Amino acid sequence: MRVAIAEDSVLLREGLTRILASAGLEVAAAYDNADDLLRYVRSFPPQVAILDIRLPPTHNDEGMRAALRIREQHPDVGVLVLSQYLELGLAMQLLSESAEGVGYLLKDRISDVDDFVGAVRRVAGGGSAVDPKIVSTLLKRRRGDDPLAVLTPREREALELMATGASNQGIADALTITLRAAEKYVSGIFTKLGIPSTRSESRRVLAVLLYLRA
Amino acid sequence: MVAPAIARARGPGPWALWAAVVLGLGTLLASIALAMAGDELVRPGLQALLFNWITIPYLISGTLAWWRRPESRLGPLMIAAAFVMALTALQWSSLPALHSLGNLLDMVPSAMFLHVFLAYPTGQLATRPRQVVVIAGYVNVAVLQLAKILLGSNPDSLLAITAQPAVASRIEQFQLIAMSALLLIGTALLLVRRPSPSRAQRRPVTLLVDTFGLALVMLALLYVAGLRGWPQIETVRHITFAALGLAPAAFLLGLLDARLARTDVGTLLMELRAHPTSDLREPLARALHDPSLTLAYWLPQYGTWADPDGRAVTLRGADAGRATRVIHRDHEPIIALEFDRSLEDERELLDAVAAAAGIALENNRLQVELRARLQELQGSRARVVDAEQKERQRLERNLHDGAQQRLVALALELGLLANSSTDSSETAARLLQAKREVAVSLDELRDVARGIHPAVLTGHGLAVALESLAVQAGVPVELDVAIDGRLPERVEVAAYYVVSESLTNIGKHAEATTASVRVTRSADAIVVAVVDNGIGGADTERGTGLRGLADRVEAVGGQLRIWSPAGHGTRLEAEFPCE
Repeated sequence: MRVAIAEDSVLLREGLTRILASAGLEVAAAYDNADDLLRYVRSFPPQVAILDIRLPPTHNDEGMRAALRIREQHPDVGVLVLSQYLELGLAMQLLSESAEGVGYLLKDRISDVDDFVGAVRRVAGGGSAVDPKIVSTLLKRRRGDDPLAVLTPREREALELMATGASNQGIADALTITLRAAEKYVSGIFTKLGIPSTRSESRRVLAVLLYLRA
Repeated sequence: MVAPAIARARGPGPWALWAAVVLGLGTLLASIALAMAGDELVRPGLQALLFNWITIPYLISGTLAWWRRPESRLGPLMIAAAFVMALTALQWSSLPALHSLGNLLDMVPSAMFLHVFLAYPTGQLATRPRQVVVIAGYVNVAVLQLAKILLGSNPDSLLAITAQPAVASRIEQFQLIAMSALLLIGTALLLVRRPSPSRAQRRPVTLLVDTFGLALVMLALLYVAGLRGWPQIETVRHITFAALGLAPAAFLLGLLDARLARTDVGTLLMELRAHPTSDLREPLARALHDPSLTLAYWLPQYGTWADPDGRAVTLRGADAGRATRVIHRDHEPIIALEFDRSLEDERELLDAVAAAAGIALENNRLQVELRARLQELQGSRARVVDAEQKERQRLERNLHDGAQQRLVALALELGLLANSSTDSSETAARLLQAKREVAVSLDELRDVARGIHPAVLTGHGLAVALESLAVQAGVPVELDVAIDGRLPERVEVAAYYVVSESLTNIGKHAEATTASVRVTRSADAIVVAVVDNGIGGADTERGTGLRGLADRVEAVGGQLRIWSPAGHGTRLEAEFPCE
């Protein structure tokens, strides 16, 4: 699996390269700016591109713009955006079309090497990775009458995992339950909350996020 | 206090005024006595009455003018004319010495009247023709009079040293013709100065000039009548005397008008105060009773005078019947009033109007200065806010690129170490513990950096940045950002803090169950409205939070308004000017 990186901090660029390589992923290109990455993606589309959201020259929105451009022009290339801060608005922008092959993670997540590599693989495979912090913020959100009150604590955990982009297997692993039990939880949640059920695991991420944000 | 620019001439002491009054009464009684006692006059009673009809008004007017306008020579001149006129009454005396003196002075009053009329209002003869006419008049009444008397024109005079009646008669004829001519020339000079009806209709002045002209013409007519031996000479004499006596009455009327006009200065001041920026000329012209008034402003940077439209003008001196008054401030001219020259006579009015204009101008200047200072203050406040903003952004950038990246790299390193150290579970556990510590530090650092400056605002604008605020608020927030594209950064930052502070306040104090944040754009403004359904009663004066917020909004030229009736929620609206 080929990975391309754009990260202007040398420390992190090398760290990323190291952990991805040690996990058996091929870091085909690592740049410190968005333009080089875009050029590379145009010529040799990788399975996934990992971008820092703040890139030179202005460190304002170059990374974000490059990510949206790859999403638009190369739908087959997974895009994983890394950031020091989490912004719900940016997450929704990234996911606005679909949650397929897209991820938005806090930079800190890199240090949970296994989880991170898992997220990279998921995004590369067309899945999604939404930072748990975004999801927990949405779950913590105050509402007049909390529609999530109908869920059991276990269902809530399953919902949280689902929103981060976890597959049914991932939910099962995280909650140490069987795949069948996880599937039951998922369909139970959809029924209870009245979310139109969808077979695609990444499509349901967007549905859940939109539901939580509404 | 700065001494007045123009030192005022010292007025006459009370003794001088009283002396004039006493002497005037004396001449009145003496002339009547002389007229009644003598046998020269046809109708002594009427003659004495007419005589005093001239002397007394001149005396009164002269005294008043001297008292009110000590700087003008007109007063003393009028008093002198009155006394010389009074002395001519000595002709009626039967005592030869007195009769001779009176006879010698007989013609002098006509020259003095000419002098008074032509010297009005300043007491000075402004132009060369006037000076020539008046000097010629004095020469006439002194030299020719003396010559004809010496040659025996009046046998009763002690000065008659020889008797040459034919020559004396020739001289007298010439004297009377010349004097008539001079009087008529004087009339012409007066009428030239008469304000044209189309321009400033300064009624008393026109009246005065007309009266002066009539008196001079009548005087000339009287001499012609005497010369030609007209039978109606007595009638002419009476009319002449009547006209001569009218002149000081008209003069008094002018004085009175000036005093009345001064009461308009109070109105002027009130008017100027009510409309400080409106055109200065109209009210000043009204107060001065001079529609022809023009203003010129001094432009120190160009060293020139300019009319209100900014065109350069030169101040005309005392020509063409115009006069100017320059108003100074700190020894620097600021404005010049150019008005009909007859106003020179109404000095108090001019002083008062000039003072009022000075106050109004000073007021205007202070207002302009205040506005300029305010603008400067706003500018410097905006600059301070901008500088602070830049500094905050720099700090955040430093934290982001420095400490935060390093901590992430450190956490990554610890994570890798923990993964690879399969040999000792204790080491792995401690490494993971260390990594968690780093993660906590990162969280804290993130909060600090975000507090310093929300980087998302710079990178992605207000709409994106407000999403996180809304979702993290203590109450459910309905967010509606109806703006396309980016706003000026200072507006975005201020609007962000308005929403951030408001939502924090709502979470802490409002006891609300719901809130809404709306950002809308009108033609020239961005309006940020934060509304909650809480307990209300928020106050900008209490506590520093809202005051600080108002400061922040005002610093970028915006306005913060709060409606917070107790029990009915709070509506906070920030409006930012934005083209």
